[in-house]
Amino acid sequence: MSEKKPIFTPVSEKEVTRAIVAAFAKQFIEYVESDCLIIGGGPSGLMAGRDIALKGVKTLIVERNNYIGGGFWIGGYLMNKVTVREPGQKILEELDIPYEKAVKGLYVADGPHACSKLIAAACDAGVKFANMTIFDDVVLREGNRVCGAVVNWTPVQALPREITCVDPIALESKFVIDSTGHDACVVKKLEERGILKTSGFGAMWVERSEDLVVEHTGEAHPGLIVTGMAVATTYGLPRMGPTFGAMLLSGRRGAQVILEKMKKK
Amino acid sequence: MNNFIHPIPTCIDLYEEGDLRGLNLQNLGRYLAEKTGVPFRNPRNIYNRFSEKKLKVVAQEFARIKVKDPGKRFALEVPLQAEIDYERRRLSSSGWRVFGNLYEGVLYQKIVSDLIFEEEIASDRCSILFTNQLFGTWDRDNWRYHARVSLYGFPSLISIVGLVEAPAKPKEFYLSKQMGTPIELLKGEYQGRFLDQCDSRMTEVMKGYAMQALLYHLTGDPFCEDRDCRLFNSHWQEEVLHSQMGGRYEFCPRHESILKKLKGRSPSSSLPYSTGEAGVGR
Repeated sequence: MSEKKPIFTPVSEKEVTRAIVAAFAKQFIEYVESDCLIIGGGPSGLMAGRDIALKGVKTLIVERNNYIGGGFWIGGYLMNKVTVREPGQKILEELDIPYEKAVKGLYVADGPHACSKLIAAACDAGVKFANMTIFDDVVLREGNRVCGAVVNWTPVQALPREITCVDPIALESKFVIDSTGHDACVVKKLEERGILKTSGFGAMWVERSEDLVVEHTGEAHPGLIVTGMAVATTYGLPRMGPTFGAMLLSGRRGAQVILEKMKKK
Repeated sequence: MNNFIHPIPTCIDLYEEGDLRGLNLQNLGRYLAEKTGVPFRNPRNIYNRFSEKKLKVVAQEFARIKVKDPGKRFALEVPLQAEIDYERRRLSSSGWRVFGNLYEGVLYQKIVSDLIFEEEIASDRCSILFTNQLFGTWDRDNWRYHARVSLYGFPSLISIVGLVEAPAKPKEFYLSKQMGTPIELLKGEYQGRFLDQCDSRMTEVMKGYAMQALLYHLTGDPFCEDRDCRLFNSHWQEEVLHSQMGGRYEFCPRHESILKKLKGRSPSSSLPYSTGEAGVGR
């Protein structure tokens, strides 16, 4: 009776560990300095990262959660259907995300399908990720230009300070994008330092705020581009409901701003 | 009868700001001229005649007067550069379509007034700005800002977005909205019961608001208490539609008589100039 051949090649635990560490370290060392550092891996950050990386620009997305995608997995009230208003469906088409027309001007897609396709599109374009990594502070240069971010492991924040005196590390970049949603973490850090002042977002008004978010997307401070819901917080625009067209278009606008600035340089 | 506090204007200037699709100002102007005997002009976009340099200054002023928290008293703030850039783009593009910011109405009126009346307010013209932007005024009764359709003064401001957003829609609409029904579906369900963007009834409804502006100019009182009269100050969309399009008559007998006399009078026979408190239309 012949012995049954195992399905997988035998590899020892130490080789698995070495592979993980080596691959992570190789990428991390390479991306300690990038062209574009995106804080926040939600829909606007992913969209911006995808469009920028497609042009061959070295792009890293920092995400505090283990999962990428932010709120794009689910729509309102924990229901996993996401909506976009026209012309947001054009981006869905571009990313090969199936959708249906709900009513005139409003389209609906499956959250998991839409989100995973967007993440895949960013990965395919060449975006790299540092997940479970939390933004801690900004790196500033001459004239208070934003030139990077100070980050740490996310779990460090959840543990008592006495046992987690873990110093953060810094990542440098030509441009930083704040796509951290309502929190606008990077912008708020500049505010803490007295460099700029935000207004916080107003009452919810979906129909109007989507246009305003896209129109206000851009450089809020030298070296810092703000996209997505962080735009609403920065400029005191009306808060948005669970519709994602503006997130995708704002990400795209943020990418255009950076690519134009890079061209000028 | 001599109850006019300002001279009868020699003309009514109908200025425009932003994308006013759905509103036919030529049609509206002809209506005013026919009803009152006062000719109208339509100088089109209010910002067209100003230099980029001037608009840069005006953009800065608009960027400072946004009401970011309707529940708090307004305070002037130093705007961020992107906010000023946004306003510059808005002022420089005749058909600017984006709106959603709530501006402090009285300060908005002051900025526009400074543009129209370079040195002093000219009361021989009735100036009305039709805008696609939204403005509000502080309500002393419930301590918060409310979006408005109109703000009467020199000039009067009338907002087509305000007309859609300020007067309340049917109560059931808000209940369904709270339950999570998408607004696009609700618009279908309640079709006809409130005005929407680019509504085909917009011009007809705005004739009444323009007439309120003219009445404010002449008498200091733009409103009527009769809900069948076009000068009725409506709180609800259904009241707007009733008073502007479904009333027993266009104007109540008292106001019909005022308009009749106005049409027959010469511009030189009114009382001396005095300023009244601004009137606000919901």
